[in-house]
Formats: sequence, structure tokens, C-alpha cells
Amino acid sequence: MNFIKRGALNVTRRIGKSFILLFIIFILGNVIAGAISIQQATSNVERTIKERIGTAATLEIDYQKLDSMSEQEMMEVDWTPIGRDLIRQIGELSYVKYYDYSSSTWLGSDDIQSYEGGMEVHYGDSYNPRFQLKGINYARVLDFEEGRGQLVDGRVFTDDEIENGASVAIISKKLAEENNLHVGDTFALTNKVFDYSAGEEEEIASRDVVLEIIGLFEPQSVAENDGENSDRGMWDWMDIEYQNTVYVSNQVVREENQFHMEAYMAIDEEYAQMIENEEIHEHFSPIFILHSTDVAEAFAEEAMPLIPQLYTVRNVSDHFDNIAGPIKSMATLSGYVLIVSIVASVLIIGLVVLLFLRDRKRELGIYLSLGERRSRVVGQVLLEVMIVAIIGITLSLFTGNLLASGVSDTMMKSDTNQQYQDYYFYGGELHSNLTTDDVIESYQVHLNATYIMMFLVIGLLTILVSTVIPLIYIVRLNPKKILM
Amino acid sequence: MILEAKNLNYYYQDGENRRYILRDTNASFEKGKFYTILGHSGSGKTTFMALLSALDEPHSGNVLFHGQDIKQIGYEKYRRNNVGIIFQSYNLVPSFTAVENVLVPMSITENEIPKDRKNVAYNLLDYIGIVKTKADRFVNKLSGGEQQRVAIARALATNVELILADEPTGNLDEEMEQEIIDIFTKLAHEHQKCVIVVTHSNEIAQQSDQIYTLKKGVLTKHE
Ligand SMILES: Nc1ncnc2c1ncn2[C@@H]1O[C@H](COP(=O)(O)OP(=O)(O)OP(=O)(O)O)[C@@H](O)[C@H]1O
Ligand SMILES: [Mg+2]
Repeated sequence: MNFIKRGALNVTRRIGKSFILLFIIFILGNVIAGAISIQQATSNVERTIKERIGTAATLEIDYQKLDSMSEQEMMEVDWTPIGRDLIRQIGELSYVKYYDYSSSTWLGSDDIQSYEGGMEVHYGDSYNPRFQLKGINYARVLDFEEGRGQLVDGRVFTDDEIENGASVAIISKKLAEENNLHVGDTFALTNKVFDYSAGEEEEIASRDVVLEIIGLFEPQSVAENDGENSDRGMWDWMDIEYQNTVYVSNQVVREENQFHMEAYMAIDEEYAQMIENEEIHEHFSPIFILHSTDVAEAFAEEAMPLIPQLYTVRNVSDHFDNIAGPIKSMATLSGYVLIVSIVASVLIIGLVVLLFLRDRKRELGIYLSLGERRSRVVGQVLLEVMIVAIIGITLSLFTGNLLASGVSDTMMKSDTNQQYQDYYFYGGELHSNLTTDDVIESYQVHLNATYIMMFLVIGLLTILVSTVIPLIYIVRLNPKKILM
Repeated sequence: MILEAKNLNYYYQDGENRRYILRDTNASFEKGKFYTILGHSGSGKTTFMALLSALDEPHSGNVLFHGQDIKQIGYEKYRRNNVGIIFQSYNLVPSFTAVENVLVPMSITENEIPKDRKNVAYNLLDYIGIVKTKADRFVNKLSGGEQQRVAIARALATNVELILADEPTGNLDEEMEQEIIDIFTKLAHEHQKCVIVVTHSNEIAQQSDQIYTLKKGVLTKHE
């Protein structure tokens, strides 16, 4: 009849009290398990969503700052756009995995039809710049590397082609199919310059841009989301725009812009003078792919002092904060619930165990009078509590998890209805089609090893701490007073 | 000498004053003898027993077991290996059966206990007068006399030579009292135990081999 057997026996012999304790632990365990489940699920969401959003950062004009400026300040501000050298300098920062910068222009074509999503669209005979000539500097195409699009045929650019502005292009598969084009074929876009100063448009210059197709791409996310996307309208518009994008080197874009400008200079002397006196600024949209989302803040901190005052660093992962409202409030709430329930558990379980022990003080005194070591009496009581606790905690492990998913379902539903509209982010060069719905979808309360481990550790530690008061009581027991 | 009390002093602090319960108390006890300690209520008998059984500590003086100070042996260890204590109010574990109560000290003591403990416990109970059917009952389903027998069996379970009992028959009727006293006599005389029993009953005292009386903190040996 050693203390272990005694403990085990006592749990079954005092089955009523064991059940009361089990019930209390079970109830409290549910609250703790629920809170941990929600915590776990929310941190998972943050990770997966940020992974899906990616690690891109860009530099853009800080419109907030601009809005708050007085006219005086506006006059003094440095309007220099972000130059190639600055982009390269920032691209060299250790947080950056690789980077690209892009300038683009819109061209029309007499040679090919734009892809219009299978719809019949007639623009008449007038010139319609439906094709975005998107210049890039990163030969392997950042959009493909980051999963916006996927090369399905042919190849990407070579460094040579990028540097020398070779007349090669990558177009979408849909656009190619529309015009029965294949890798190796050439097609022509038209760069027309119009003058509107006379009140109606007058063509002043025009030239063809002949490009050889080296590769075909398909927008990736479209393929993935096909058929189930509820935001079809919005999505199509973006999709069609992307389907009509023509990837070329920045150099090609630059030449077309140059052509455009020179045409104007030829007809407008004032303009020509102004341009000649000033250095020509090319406008680039830079995009930096960081090593991980964790360095986004550090990157912003280091890049900020380097860029012109008017600009700011924009991390695509910041987007998470915009769409994660319901999750964030769940996380905060469950954090409080967790802390409060742990404290409450320590007190409640401690007092209940103490109450039961006071009932049993004669028994404990008997063990002591028989020469049992206090440590073993403590051990016996601890064992008894732990047997019940492990059962209670194991049960609440599952029910608490169920509870958590139920609670979060209702909470997030009401939450989204109230405040959070789908936030569509399509600014600058950062693309994210993730919405609050995506966040909620990726929020999943389920049993996993980390959750189980975490709950067991927290649960058992809570029980252990809660037995401190009762155990102090045992250590101070005086068998003479109890028994004689 | 199996047990000796040497100049034991025990008092309660009463404000500024010390109220002595035991004053320079000396006594010695041998194996094979049945001792009684007589005294009025409040004379300090329980206090004395608590000191002998190491459930309390004297303010000065020593208790020697086979010549060794029990403080040196260690109070817990002394209780576990050297002494069997019997209380007026039985003090059995209510959630255990009689035989389970007897088994408890067997796993606490460091003394040699035969392997088949359960049998030993049943035999012990049987010897004391608890048949097997009663031995398997929860102790609160036994009469007071039966419970006290279980307590005696528990005291004997660790094979100790020294049995201390504080008014073991205080809650029992006379008939039951006599049966218990007979057990103590038998233990002393047939099993060479040293049995020390506190009582305020003269009748019991008369049956013992040696009477001590406790009065105003002084213990006197009767010839
Ligand atoms: N905690 C205490 N504080 C102060 N005095 C106490 C305390 N405990 C006991 N006493 C006193 O010590 C004296 C001896 O008590 P003790 O219990 O040893 O007497 P006793 O001889 O066993 O009496 P009884 O026959 O009634 O059991 C009593 O006068 C009692 O009032
Ligand atoms: Mg007494």
C-alpha cells in the first residue's frame, strides 16, 4: 500500500469527489483549450496569409503625407522620381533576395486582337492602346517567380536581351491563341502619338514595334481559382488586363517613350526646350522581394532614409493588417480569455483541492503518524489530482477545440457582417487578391500536435501551480493536533 | 531498557509564564512488560505519549530508544520503524477496508515484512479478533471495538517491539475494554512487546505489570 497505490485507490474510492474535481477541471480546461485553439489558429492564419501575400516591398509616393502638406511645402518638396541607381542601392540591402524595376507604356495594334475574355468587343477603327508593354529588368521575370503568372511555353529573357533591349516579348497564352501566335512568331504593336491641342485628335507620329515571342505565360491565380471565385467581375477585369500584358525589357519601353516624347518635341518648341534643359527622368516602379516577411520592418527602416522624402516603403504583407480584422480581434480576445482562465483555474482548483484535503486531514495525519515522509504524502495528493486532471484535460482537449471552432464561427460571422468589407488591394506594383474571406477561410481550428502539446503543458502546469496552496497545507499539518 | 524518558520538560507558553505540563520527567520501560500511565484528565498523559511516540518534541530532555536519542534516529524514521501508536479515536483511513488499513504501514516501514503482505495482514487481524469477512469491510462499517482492534493490528503490522496507546478503550464499553486489555497483556507477555497504555481507569491499571501516575507534571512510579 505505497503512496502511489493509495493515491490511485483514493481516486476511485472517493468517486463522488473525484467527479466534482473532474467536472471543474473539465470546464476550466475547455475554456483554456478553447483559448489556446483560437490563439493557435490565429497565428497560423497570420503565417499562411503572409506567406500567400508574399514578401514583396515597393517604394511609392506617400499620398497620406502629400495630403497633409501645405502648398508651401508642396513647392519645396523634391519631386525627383525614384531612379535606377537608388533602386539598385536599395536592392543591395541584405534583406532583399532579388528585385526588379519596371516602366511601362500602353500600345495599340493593327496586327493582333486583344484578348477580351471571350466576349465580342468592338472598338471600331480608332486607335486603342489595349496592350500594356511592361518593361522589366529581372530577366527571369519577377511576376513568374512570385507566382502571379507562370511560363507555360518557351523561355524567359536572357540578361543580354534585357540589357540590349532586344525585340523579344513574352505574352499570355490566351492572347497568343486569340491571334494564332506561337513561340518564335513575331507580331507588331503600334505606337501612335496624337496631338489634341487643336481640339480634336490628330495623329502626329506612328511606328510599329515588332516583337518576337519567346515565351507564353498564364496567370497563375486564375487557373487556381477558376470557377469558385465569387468576385468574378472584379477578377475578370484584372485578368483581362494581365492577359494583354506584354513583357519586354525596360529598354524597349524606354525607346517607345522616347519616340513619343520626340514626336511632341517636334511640334511643340516650348516643350522641347523644357525637356532639353532638364535631365530626362524615367519613371520606374521598383519591387523588392525580401528574404522573409519577418525582415519587412527592418527593410523599411533601412530603406526609408535612402529614398526621397515624398516616398514611402510599402510592404505587401502590411496588407495583412487590412484584411485580418476579425482574426486580430479573436486573437486579442482569446489572449485575455487565456490569461484570465489560467488565473481563475489556479485559484478555483487550488481552493477546491484544499477544501477536499481539509476533509481528509485526519487521513493525511495518519500517514504522517505512521512515519510516512511528507514528500510522499504530497506525492500522493499530487498524484490523485493529476490522475483526475489528466482525464479532465484530455476530455477538454477535444471538446475545447470543438467549442473554439463554434465560438469563432459565430464571432467571425458577426464580425465580418459588421465592420469588415472585402478589401481589394491593387495598388502600385503590389498585387494581392486576398480578402477577408480568404483570411477567414484559412482560419481553421483543428487538433494538431502543437496545440495538443501546448494545451497539455499549460493545462498541467496550471494544475501543478494550483496545488501549491494545498500542498503547503499538507506540509504544515501537525499529526499530533489532528490525531490526539 | 527499550525506552527511556530522561528529564523531559514540556510547557505551554501562557503569556509571560510557562505552564509546565511535564517537569523533569523520567521513566524507563522494558520489553515483555505491560505498563499503564494513570492520571486525571488534563494531567498531561497525552502530552507524554506524544513525546514518547515522537509526534511532539520536548523543550528539554530526551527520549531514548535502545539507548539512542530518538531525535538522532529521526522522528519520522522512529515512527516508521520502531513504534506502533494506538489512539483513543482509532484514526483509521475511512476510505480503506480493515485489511488495507493494516497494509498501509507495511509499505511505509523499512522493517523486514514478509512477501505475502496481504496474508500477513489477514492473519494479524484474525489473531486480534477480526475475521476475514470483516477484514474486507470498510472500517466505518465496523464497531468501535472492532475498529480499535484494526488499529492494534496496524500498530503490529510493522513488527515493532514498542506499542504506545493513548486511552485505547476510552470510547468502548467495559466488556470491549477488557478484551482489548487482554490483547495488550498477551502482546507483552507472549510476544515480548513493550506495551505502554495511558488510562484513567484504575481497573486497567491494576492488570498491568507497572503503573506510573502523572500528577501536576510529575511522573511517579508505583511499586
Ligand atoms: N495547545 C495547547 N495550548 C495550551 N495548553 C494546552 C494545549 N494543549 C493541551 N494543553 C493543556 O495541557 C494539559 C495537558 O493536556 P493533555 O492532553 O496531555 O492531558 P491528558 O492527561 O491527556 O488529558 P485527558 O485525560 O483529558 O486526555 C491540559 O491542561 C491542557 O489544557
Ligand atoms: Mg489525553
